[in-house]
Amino acid sequence: MRTIIEPFKIKSVEPIFFTSKEERIKILEEAFYNPFLIHSNKVLIDLLTDSGTSAMSSDQWAGIMRGDESYAGSPSFFRFEAAVKNITGMPLVIPTHQGRASEKILFSILGGKGKYFISNTLFDTTRANIEFSGAEGIDCLCKEGKMPTIPAPFKGNMDLELLEKTILEKGAENIPLVIITVTNNSGGGQPVSMANIKAVRKICTANKIPLFIDACRFAENSYFIKLREEGYQNTSVENIAKELFSYADGCTMSAKKDAFANIGGFLAMNDPALAQQCRNLLVITEGFPTYGGLAGRDLEAIAIGLAEVLDENYLQYRIRSIEYLTNKLIEAGVPVMQPAGGHAVYLDAKGFLDHIPVNQYPGQALVGALYLKGGIRGVEIGSLMFGKYDEQGKLIPAQMELVRLAIPRRVYTQSHIDYVAEVIIEVFQNRKQFKGLSIVEEALLLRHFTVKMKPIN
Amino acid sequence: MNKPIKRSWAEPYKIKMVELIKMTSPSERRKALNDAGFNTFLLKSEDVYIDLLTDSGTSAMSDRQWAGMMLGDEAYAGSRNFYHLEEVVKDVYGYKYLIPTHQGRGAENILSKILIKKGDIIPGNMYFTTTRLHQELAGGKFEDVIIDEAHDSESEFPFKGNIDLEKLDKLVKKYGAEKIPYVSMATSVNMAGGQPISMQNLKELRKYTKKHGIRVIHDMTRVAENAYFIQQREKGFADKTIKEIVKEICSYTDGATMSAKKDALVNIGGFLAVNDWDVFEEARNMVVVYEGLHTYGGLAGRDMEAMAIGIGESVGDDHIKARVGQVIYLGEKMMEYGVPIIKPIGGHGIFVDAKKFLPHIPQNFYPAQTLAAEVYLDSGVRTMERGIVSAGRNAKGENYCPKLELVRFTIPRRVYTQAHMDVIAESTARVFERREKIKGLKMIYEPKYLRFFQARFERIK
Repeated sequence: MRTIIEPFKIKSVEPIFFTSKEERIKILEEAFYNPFLIHSNKVLIDLLTDSGTSAMSSDQWAGIMRGDESYAGSPSFFRFEAAVKNITGMPLVIPTHQGRASEKILFSILGGKGKYFISNTLFDTTRANIEFSGAEGIDCLCKEGKMPTIPAPFKGNMDLELLEKTILEKGAENIPLVIITVTNNSGGGQPVSMANIKAVRKICTANKIPLFIDACRFAENSYFIKLREEGYQNTSVENIAKELFSYADGCTMSAKKDAFANIGGFLAMNDPALAQQCRNLLVITEGFPTYGGLAGRDLEAIAIGLAEVLDENYLQYRIRSIEYLTNKLIEAGVPVMQPAGGHAVYLDAKGFLDHIPVNQYPGQALVGALYLKGGIRGVEIGSLMFGKYDEQGKLIPAQMELVRLAIPRRVYTQSHIDYVAEVIIEVFQNRKQFKGLSIVEEALLLRHFTVKMKPIN
Repeated sequence: MNKPIKRSWAEPYKIKMVELIKMTSPSERRKALNDAGFNTFLLKSEDVYIDLLTDSGTSAMSDRQWAGMMLGDEAYAGSRNFYHLEEVVKDVYGYKYLIPTHQGRGAENILSKILIKKGDIIPGNMYFTTTRLHQELAGGKFEDVIIDEAHDSESEFPFKGNIDLEKLDKLVKKYGAEKIPYVSMATSVNMAGGQPISMQNLKELRKYTKKHGIRVIHDMTRVAENAYFIQQREKGFADKTIKEIVKEICSYTDGATMSAKKDALVNIGGFLAVNDWDVFEEARNMVVVYEGLHTYGGLAGRDMEAMAIGIGESVGDDHIKARVGQVIYLGEKMMEYGVPIIKPIGGHGIFVDAKKFLPHIPQNFYPAQTLAAEVYLDSGVRTMERGIVSAGRNAKGENYCPKLELVRFTIPRRVYTQAHMDVIAESTARVFERREKIKGLKMIYEPKYLRFFQARFERIK
């Protein structure tokens, strides 16, 4: 097979920042071993998130210049609306400043005490918004999705039996929505198969429950379907995406992922009554229905990005880059989540730093080690992010201790990725020298953003 | 005969990039207006010739701001643009702690949720639509404490945005200071016609609230325009720069909500700024739920950079002089044609008095909404109703009936030329000439919140 190259060339560059090891020791100490507290100009390769960090295309930048900033009725909105309608087939489109605002609005209307939202896996902000409304979120992920090192093609699938059982148990009338997250971010960016979505649709129809898609990475998921699911090899990714949305009654989207935008999101749906309710809330916290808290130029950038992301040469390059890094690490014996997901590499910190117990946060220790060795910034997805305390104040750890290295879209080259692999492997070879961490200061909610920590000697 | 040679002033900038606008025919405008249910908010901007709907988010950015857009650092945490913005806010406004938000109402939402408890009273110098709604949704009740002159369209008092301290004192005596979490103080009071508050009044307010342990929260979206009026009208400020005056205004308050889409010359963005660490900490936790992480608050890095640069430009003396000068030019032109407007002329737009313009249309037939529709029909100029439709309903479902029934001609910053101003004044004058033939409207669709955005109307027969 020939080398897969980037299906673009570079039009504008941005400096990255080199630091010495001595500087990084000091920076890490001053940031209390929390990557969220490091200034971005002290980071060499920033893999904190793939959200809002994409490089836009020259067409998108042209759209930025073309943005019409009228408060009401901007043509930029109508172009945005047409682009969303084209892919989702949903007639009612509501822009928001980003994905969590879409969720906030949707769950304020449909949530409340005694309600249950069922999903393959709810993402952390989604779950937070559901619980904030008084409702409860239930994950029904298939069994193979919970086993990090065992490969399977569609580890994001819903466990259909468990779904039916849960609906029976909680009562269909108490379930305002079933939500499928594509790809499954919290579960390692793993895809959901079309067959699974169809089956969920059938169950939803039988129980008269609407089905929504959390669509942040719909294009990556559609491409996995093309690669891995029988019967889709000759279908275009665009048509796969359209089919995927055709089984849903609505969707929430953070355009900061698969629309290559630095800001923005939307809600789309079929039900006019629900859309009217959403718009009534939209004007309170977001903005007027034809801008939703976004500049006109950002609506343009999203409209253009939605078309670009369905280019199969791009998706081949995108999925292959993640796989490339994952395979390099597997060859070196580094414990990683398998198979490679769509947007990030997930290191298994429990296996990686097996001398550090979970109550000393091996994930966060590994994040620190990667920064120290190579100026790389990743994020812990483990007991620091999801851990809770029992009544005695003892840590209830998360299921897995992962470090996510999310790859921004179109930003880094293969040399950057090679460097990342080298740093990880070097840390792995010297892993015994890294120590666990203890918490100095923490907030009650979403503590990982602001927590202060120190190494345990 | 030798006429004295006039010395004109001109804009302190030249044009670097233009945006094309569309001319429409009367029949196209009739159709567009019908399709929009006689609500100017529902017109497509493509069908608008000169768009005076709002000065919010519609400014022309400078070449430096556009250059800043290219310097956007889109890192999720610790973006350089955030630290730049933080530094500028401290330097220009003097507030200690900054939380960026995607726009002003994002900041109002967070602030109201933190400071207001159920049953609280929030006094303010006239309501603003989104501000009052957030106060009500948080369980509070807004009480108007603006001076009476503000409600009198005839009064030419120079500081019609002032707070009546006696009214405030009555509230404190009636409810107790502990029921009043803060005074909501706006500079350039929008609903009063962009009227300023004086420095003297602010000082007195600070003294009074300090005594009673009440915070002053500053709705600062047009603080620079307010500062200009202080410089021009208040004794002792003629030799001070706009920047100095702005900083002094802020120094008498404890925190602020800002929609940067006005004064700060950006198309999107806002912030919450406070001096109180505890409020800041709570806001920082809350912003993650509604907006985004506290170093981006739901904004792209580039938009924080444009804001930081825009704030610096907004307090330039030449900039503000040209800005307010253009508004005054339009207002004086309208007065020459006999069009009834709110005086003195405010900082960001001309407010036409619809009750006087259309005295034969009673308030329940929406004279201001009607007038906005008629101006659009005449020339394609889009304005906004600020009267009974905007005021909405109280908790019991009764219409608020504001004394002022206005049409707002808001001037975007740095966008239109003097020739555009002439077209606007002439079109309004033409509608004024045929005012007696104009009939009112009735509302046929009314949304629950902020109804003026999406309500639909038809002409009464």
